[in-house]
Amino acid sequence: MPFPWLSAAILFPIAASLLIPFVPDAGDGRRVRWYALGVALITFLFTVGGYLNGYDPADPGLQLVERVSWLPDLGLAWSVGADGLSMPLILLTSFITALACLAAWPVTFKPRLFYFLLLAMDGGQIAVFAVQDMLLFFLAWELELIPVYLLLAIWGGKKRQYAATKFILYTAGSSLFILLAALAMGFFGGGAPSFEYTALAAKGFPVGFQVLCYAALLIAFGVKLPIVPLHTWLPDAHGEATAPVHMLLAGILLKMGGYALLRFNVQILPEAHVQFAPLLVVLGVVNIIYAALTSFAQRNLKRKIAYSSISHMGFVLIGIGSLSALATSGAMLQMISHGLIGASLFFLVGATYDRTHTLQLDEMGGVGQKMRKMFALWTICSLASLALPGMSGFVSELMVFVGFATSEAYSLSFRIVIAVLAAVGVILTPIYLLSMLREIFFGKENAELASHTHLVDAEPREIYVISCLLVPIIGIGLYPRIMTDSYRASIEALVDREAGALGRIASPPGRAVMRPAAVPAGMPATAPLQAPSLA
Amino acid sequence: MPSAAELAWLIPVLPLVGACLTGLGLISFNRTVNRLRKPVAVLLLTCVGAAAVLSFAVLAEQLAGAGPREVLFDWASAGTFNLQMGFRVDALGAVMLSLVTTIALLVMVYSDGYMAHDKGYVRFFTYLALFSSSMLGLVISPNLLEIYVFWELVGMCSYLLVGFWYDRDGAANAAQKAFVVNRVGDFGLLLGILGLFWATGSFGFEEIGTRLSEAVAGGSVSNGVAVLLCLLVFMGPMAKSAQFPLHVWLPDAMEGPTPISALIHAATMVAAGVFLVARLQPVYAPFPAVQVVIAVIGTITLFLGASIALTQQDLKKGLAYSTVSQLGYMMLAMGCGAPVAGMFHLVTHAFFKAMLFLGSGSVIHAMEEVVGHEPVLAQDMRLMGGLRRFMPVTAITFLIGCIAIAGIPPLAGFWSKDEILGQAFATYPLLWGMGFVTAGMTAFYMFRLYFLTFEGEFRGNDKAIAAQLLAAAGKAPGGDEEHGHGHAHADHPHESAWQMTMPLAVLAVPSVLIGLLGTPWNSRFAGLLDPHEAAEMAEHFSWSEFLPLAGASVAISLTGIAVAVAAYALRRIDLGQAVAARFPAVNAFLANKWYLDAINERLFVQGSRRLARQVLEVDAKVVDGVVNLTGLLTLGSGEGLKYFETGRAQFYALIVFGGVIALVVLFGAFG
Repeated sequence: MPFPWLSAAILFPIAASLLIPFVPDAGDGRRVRWYALGVALITFLFTVGGYLNGYDPADPGLQLVERVSWLPDLGLAWSVGADGLSMPLILLTSFITALACLAAWPVTFKPRLFYFLLLAMDGGQIAVFAVQDMLLFFLAWELELIPVYLLLAIWGGKKRQYAATKFILYTAGSSLFILLAALAMGFFGGGAPSFEYTALAAKGFPVGFQVLCYAALLIAFGVKLPIVPLHTWLPDAHGEATAPVHMLLAGILLKMGGYALLRFNVQILPEAHVQFAPLLVVLGVVNIIYAALTSFAQRNLKRKIAYSSISHMGFVLIGIGSLSALATSGAMLQMISHGLIGASLFFLVGATYDRTHTLQLDEMGGVGQKMRKMFALWTICSLASLALPGMSGFVSELMVFVGFATSEAYSLSFRIVIAVLAAVGVILTPIYLLSMLREIFFGKENAELASHTHLVDAEPREIYVISCLLVPIIGIGLYPRIMTDSYRASIEALVDREAGALGRIASPPGRAVMRPAAVPAGMPATAPLQAPSLA
Repeated sequence: MPSAAELAWLIPVLPLVGACLTGLGLISFNRTVNRLRKPVAVLLLTCVGAAAVLSFAVLAEQLAGAGPREVLFDWASAGTFNLQMGFRVDALGAVMLSLVTTIALLVMVYSDGYMAHDKGYVRFFTYLALFSSSMLGLVISPNLLEIYVFWELVGMCSYLLVGFWYDRDGAANAAQKAFVVNRVGDFGLLLGILGLFWATGSFGFEEIGTRLSEAVAGGSVSNGVAVLLCLLVFMGPMAKSAQFPLHVWLPDAMEGPTPISALIHAATMVAAGVFLVARLQPVYAPFPAVQVVIAVIGTITLFLGASIALTQQDLKKGLAYSTVSQLGYMMLAMGCGAPVAGMFHLVTHAFFKAMLFLGSGSVIHAMEEVVGHEPVLAQDMRLMGGLRRFMPVTAITFLIGCIAIAGIPPLAGFWSKDEILGQAFATYPLLWGMGFVTAGMTAFYMFRLYFLTFEGEFRGNDKAIAAQLLAAAGKAPGGDEEHGHGHAHADHPHESAWQMTMPLAVLAVPSVLIGLLGTPWNSRFAGLLDPHEAAEMAEHFSWSEFLPLAGASVAISLTGIAVAVAAYALRRIDLGQAVAARFPAVNAFLANKWYLDAINERLFVQGSRRLARQVLEVDAKVVDGVVNLTGLLTLGSGEGLKYFETGRAQFYALIVFGGVIALVVLFGAFG
């Protein structure tokens, strides 16, 4: 039997977290943080080991499969595996968590509990991406909420109770929909209930049933991604979280929403997806513009970056809804890219707060004169976030743009409107990010700030964390195939499913028709001109 | 041995490697690297120098008749799509490569003197190398997609360099303005590229050109759509090359160090838009409507730039508006379907405008010794005058630049500008008229700059003027800033060091001579870029056509110079009395830069801020309000909420956790 890489990556950090009480530590966290970092690194190595030894990027199917029957009555099994949709995100999770452990170095308040939760979350999040059983998925999804809740509620900012409560109510409430949909789908068609993805995908639900399940799941995952107007937990949660938690929230938690959309809504409910797709695209555009504007007006640094995350997730939605291989691949890349860039920005926010002790932009200014390295890191990460070429964000947004603009599934006028509106985001993003840089770092030093705080420049640990994030950001930006090739086959299989579903659904007048891949030069003439119906 | 064209990818890579090395050094070992000024400068000069050698090798190959060469690889792919990257070497690219590396090298040498006392010396050189790399990458890009990549990167370098002195508010605002205005152009460029890809399935210039005209001929793309796509793409060059109405960022960008103004905002980056339009000729040529729009925008720009330059008191701003105006000439040439003429003016202008800017830098550097490090004082011509006696090299080279840009034969500007005017005369006589009048204005404002700066009495020690200027700029006299006025230690300025005068002298040579490569009867420049057109030009050339037009151009330039001489050298006419006082509205209109900045501020800056605030208001009050209300109602009363607010977090989590466990057990038992 091959080594169970995925189970190891899930269970090892959880088991190790239970041993934290026995780590000899004086209570200031100096030993326990090394322990946590070591565990997180080993977990990262497990995922890398799985990727290198058991994963073939060219294979669109499920790999690294491990299956143990758990509750046979319920059809529940410990079933994990990875394909192109989950493998990159599993790697991202273990990578960001390891860096979050390093980012958490200054935490001295209840360090044992803090690192316990961090490691428990590591396993839980990998489980969310790795499990292949919907009930198991629901459990992992729920279990991972608790550490987040506690991390918010205990180590958060001033309004931490409010934020944590809002977070848990929002996500726990919405995840009820996952449970409902899972039960409905699992018990569908009578016989022994089965919740495994492959079984669900093979069931061939009727379209009406699919639409119901799709709507329920869209709400659940829409909260997580988040989709406007289900986003209001995020600025509060992000606004109150400490830097390491922040990195996990932005780097991984938001991606769970996007991943789940691809996994369930697209893969298992393709017929419903092709009907909902235009809605996703429209919501994506709303996300981009709405959140960019709110971010621009926001005066609190953390909340500003939080809104910028929402804005970036809009591209994920457009990509998922595009029904094109290039744009779906772009959506996947945008998740990875934002995971890295968002984590780095939130880490910098935390590092800056440690020095300025304020998040209000009005109380900063001219900070760049004393913190030059910090200024440089901020500039690089902001440029990455505003999709500067040579960094990953550019590639993913470009893929979404090109893929959507050439997607045959939509009428020309719809594509034009969406592309134009999404491109407005290209103007808005630098406006809020560069304004932010200007207000923090440029200009005369804020005398009041300088008088009561000691502005120390970035320390090696901080530079190291950012460098670790920048290496993949720039690597993907220079040669995106190092990442896209690892999931290309799965995305293509997924888009084939969409195309099949589109073909199966009769095309009444008013609905666009998907044509198989190849794009001849004269294709615009044949593109249907009607606006697509919104489901 | 591989040919130079095969190694062309090294040209942008070499400076990039240098920039990355020093950049990494700056971040990890800031103090040490900052102390290694000369080694870093030498390293980066070597990198750019090697790139320059390679560039000239490529140019030599092209001169010897080597054909275009393109190398591509799959950069990103999904489904049936492949996005390709690579590099392309051809005559146009080779000319640009040589131009960019030459000026970059000279500017780097110059910067060693200009930035000698700046604490950001190493950072400055790093940015310079980074910029050179991006600009060179842009030049060898084989398709629109890659152009877009480097297009953004040069924009980023411009942002970093304009905001180089980040403790100045002016620099901070200018940098942001430059980036955002350019992004407005890129908005159109991106959509245009997407649209062209949709219409033709390609990013390559020739392919797009042929397929687009085929598609229009075949009726699958309507003519209007094709024109619209072309114009969308043109928005990119409009912003980058400072064409009306997106030129507003360029004058503000003068907040950056002067070597940057010479390299980026006069010679290379702002010319990238013109270069792109030249690259896109196969796409644009079949659509006369597009050509007309380009020509008209170019003409508006050339007139607008020159008219505002008439009243500028800031030496650098005057040159900046002159650049705007000259870029308008280049665009006019593109609109006339004469890319070779436009490119020729790009090359000549790059040399003499870089020289003029470096000269102004030399002046400012010298003025700072007298009036201190205060841009409001050091750059204002009202405090200059008589500098020729103190700094002869700067003065002579500046004068050469003025003659060149004014269009007096046989200096460079005459040949290139005259070719554009000749083309415009043949295609759009009305636009030619504007260009012709502007040529006179150009001569006038350039000599005005020269006389105010270098002739007459030195006014730098006049405290009354200085106080007046400071008050007008809203700054306290005496200055309490970090740079302070304490550095003002000299009574009169001195000629700059050799690092600064040498590039001026070197640039003076092409400013005088390079025009001779493009004489209309035997244009070697056209022969390299487009042999057909060169042959045609030589064939159709007749002195009887050339002399009247050229004579008229020279005459109007001389008139402009004469007015400037009368007004500022001999002081026979007082223009302030004679013109400005009589037409106060015109004067105010020009002094306020056609009120475009005010309109922008009102409409776009304030407007977007207000909109953003309103959206946030909605977000906080309506969207979140509904959520909080629901939360409140579900909990029945404030009691429940109070419970959550008291901080029994662990307890609540326990409930959730317990609930989930119970659920599993429940399923296990009764499932």
